[in-house]
Amino acid sequence: MSVVSDLVDRKEIIVCAGSGGVGKTTAAAAIGMHAATRGKKVAVLTIDPARRLASSLGLKELSNEPHRVSARKFSAAGLEAKGELYAMMLDTKTTFDQVVMKYAPSREQAEKIIGNRFYRNISSTLSGTQEYMAMERLYELHAEGGYDLIVIDTPPTRNALDFLDAPRRLTDFFESRVLRWFLIPYMKAGGGFMRVANVAAGTFLRIVKRIVGAEVLDDTAEFFGSLEGMYDGFKQRAREVAALLHSQVTSFVVITSPAEQSVAEATFFASRLDEAGLPFGALVVNRVHPRFGDRIEARPRQISKLEQGSAEARLLAKLLENEEAFMRVVELEERNLEGLARKIPRHRWVRVPYLEQEAVDFPGLAAIADQLFATTAPAVRR
Amino acid sequence: MLLDEFFDPKILIVSGKGGVGKTTVSAALAIMAAKAGHRVCIAEVDEKGTLPAIFGSEGLGYEPSKMCPGIWGLRIIPEESLAEYLRVQYHMKRISKAFTSTHFVDYITTAAPGLKDILILGKIWYLEQERTTKERFDTIVVDAPAAGHMLTFLSAPSGLSDALRVGPVRRQADWLVQMLRDPKRARVHLVTLPEEMPVSETLETTRALEERLEIAQGPLFANAVYSELFTPQEEKKLKGTIDRAALRTQGEAVGLALDDEDFDALFSYARFLRSRRSIQETHLRNLRAGTGEPVIELPFLFSAGLALPDVENLADVIEEKVEKL
Ligand SMILES: Nc1ncnc2c1ncn2[C@@H]1O[C@H](COP(=O)(O)OP(=O)(O)O)[C@@H](O)[C@H]1O
Ligand SMILES: Nc1ncnc2c1ncn2[C@@H]1O[C@H](COP(=O)(O)OP(=O)(O)O)[C@@H](O)[C@H]1O
Ligand SMILES: [Mg+2]
Ligand SMILES: [Mg+2]
Repeated sequence: MSVVSDLVDRKEIIVCAGSGGVGKTTAAAAIGMHAATRGKKVAVLTIDPARRLASSLGLKELSNEPHRVSARKFSAAGLEAKGELYAMMLDTKTTFDQVVMKYAPSREQAEKIIGNRFYRNISSTLSGTQEYMAMERLYELHAEGGYDLIVIDTPPTRNALDFLDAPRRLTDFFESRVLRWFLIPYMKAGGGFMRVANVAAGTFLRIVKRIVGAEVLDDTAEFFGSLEGMYDGFKQRAREVAALLHSQVTSFVVITSPAEQSVAEATFFASRLDEAGLPFGALVVNRVHPRFGDRIEARPRQISKLEQGSAEARLLAKLLENEEAFMRVVELEERNLEGLARKIPRHRWVRVPYLEQEAVDFPGLAAIADQLFATTAPAVRR
Repeated sequence: MLLDEFFDPKILIVSGKGGVGKTTVSAALAIMAAKAGHRVCIAEVDEKGTLPAIFGSEGLGYEPSKMCPGIWGLRIIPEESLAEYLRVQYHMKRISKAFTSTHFVDYITTAAPGLKDILILGKIWYLEQERTTKERFDTIVVDAPAAGHMLTFLSAPSGLSDALRVGPVRRQADWLVQMLRDPKRARVHLVTLPEEMPVSETLETTRALEERLEIAQGPLFANAVYSELFTPQEEKKLKGTIDRAALRTQGEAVGLALDDEDFDALFSYARFLRSRRSIQETHLRNLRAGTGEPVIELPFLFSAGLALPDVENLADVIEEKVEKL
């Protein structure tokens, strides 16, 4: 049994993490699809599916509400959905609004925050917000959804590690000493920065005002003001989310490509998970160029002779050149993966080949799932 | 197109989704310009900072440092741009630590979305105007940030200029809008992979640049395209059943013994290439159909972890294709 099938059987939450473009969204969808064929009631929370992947999951727009993927999609691809597959696409803004509603002492205050311009900018601009809300949504689904398994995709950060730090970045930001240093006196003085007693903070404020404008400063002061009294709720929730992620029900699946840089990042990420006490479950090495045979030793001289020959000879020359080019990549990737094996033992990984077709529809996802859940690792000829 | 014409605007902005090859293409354009005798500066804005690795140089700082003959590099960090901005605009000699703390920079860029991008573009403006730096450059290649949607970076100045009615920031945003909208000063090159998501984002961007932002564009780069190795006749042959014996004879004639396993491998690699190539072609067709700009295809290089010679190779490909435009 592959490491990933073991996780699907035993865990309630699988987090697909990794740096941009390695196949997180695809893997999350494939894992969800496979779990449904094994009889699970599973929810996949995607972040940024390709349009065609979204439409194969029946997703048309951002929606926090789980949408059932019809059993017909499965049968059309020759699969049987013994369980149920639900898919959704994270809506950061709506999730944030719900969080505010939940922790604001009154409805009035919640509405004040939600209508605030600075608040609106946060959900579209401040880095870390999307990650935070993904975690929040995950927590809710887990608490209330009644799913056997939740598979969560992670935002397209350039760097996989950003994701781990994101929730803290946001709460730290809300409680930032620097911001309090100049915003609190400003608020106390009723928005009149001229009356701010602290001279240094006053000078500072004047410059901030010139840069962002008085209105914006008022907006932010109002925002931070209405947030007072909600920090404890936020922090409590952040602790609960962290506890869930650290618990035995969760597992992180780290996706990587076989490229040197990506492998280095994935190893570092796995070690950071360990340090943080987060459960690292498996490593998926995705888009590995397939090896179809042993290297054919053709000399450049032989190839150039063929190139000058008949149509048949020229075709052979091209076939040999093409094989040589692919073997260069294959061997390079194998070297990268040998380095990886010294850091993360092979029984913790699954290799998924670079498919000849695109992995955006059910048959494509099924092909990925076949590899992820293969009972025996594909034979590697040496 | 003459190379002189291609390098007419001083600023070439290379933009695209993360991982499509922006840094690689930026380096290739810089090499091309340096070969034409230009003093070139590459401004890396991307967080990853993979540029120095290509040139085998030390990490880059906020001021241009020489990476190889004719090519300098720098890394633009919003924190430092803000400090520089305050120094220049407010004649502040000592910048309070509070101003350059991450939380403050986060705050100010959230309070005024786009400000971060403006600070970054402001540094490009300083370089273009030959202010705050000892060096002068003929060409500035901007390796634009990947984070978020690529449009946010280029639309920041006009967005902020619309949002603010008066004030120094409004005035500076206007200068940047002028810089970006002047085809003699700046031009954008979008880089994409022949894949669904990068192509659809690129098309959205190219349209917005043209219709909404009015920023000049040059040829788009479709990167890492598998070569069209086989002729149509050969394709046809490969699709049918191939006479292995005939190929084997050809191999033997040059002293190459090929067994059945070798042929299985040869045909599998050929099938893989043709299949990926045809998927890429679909996306390339969509790309071409959706833009009025020429599309320059750059080959997939099989030596992953590209080193300088590979990038020089790409520079030659670009040069050759630009001359044919
Ligand atoms: N094993 C694979 N073989 C072929 N294509 C793949 C494979 N895995 C992913 N892809 C494709 O690679 C692209 C990036 O995958 P995606 O899952 O969106 O990455 P991420 O979510 O990490 O950014 C998509 O076009 C996807 O269809
Ligand atoms: N034409 C190409 N063929 C093969 N690999 C490439 C090609 N262009 C870029 N790469 C590789 O792809 C990866 C991403 O390229 P990079 O230029 O760093 O992208 P970006 O700056 O857009 O994130 C790098 O590992 C690079 O070596
Ligand atoms: Mg994704
Ligand atoms: Mg880059």
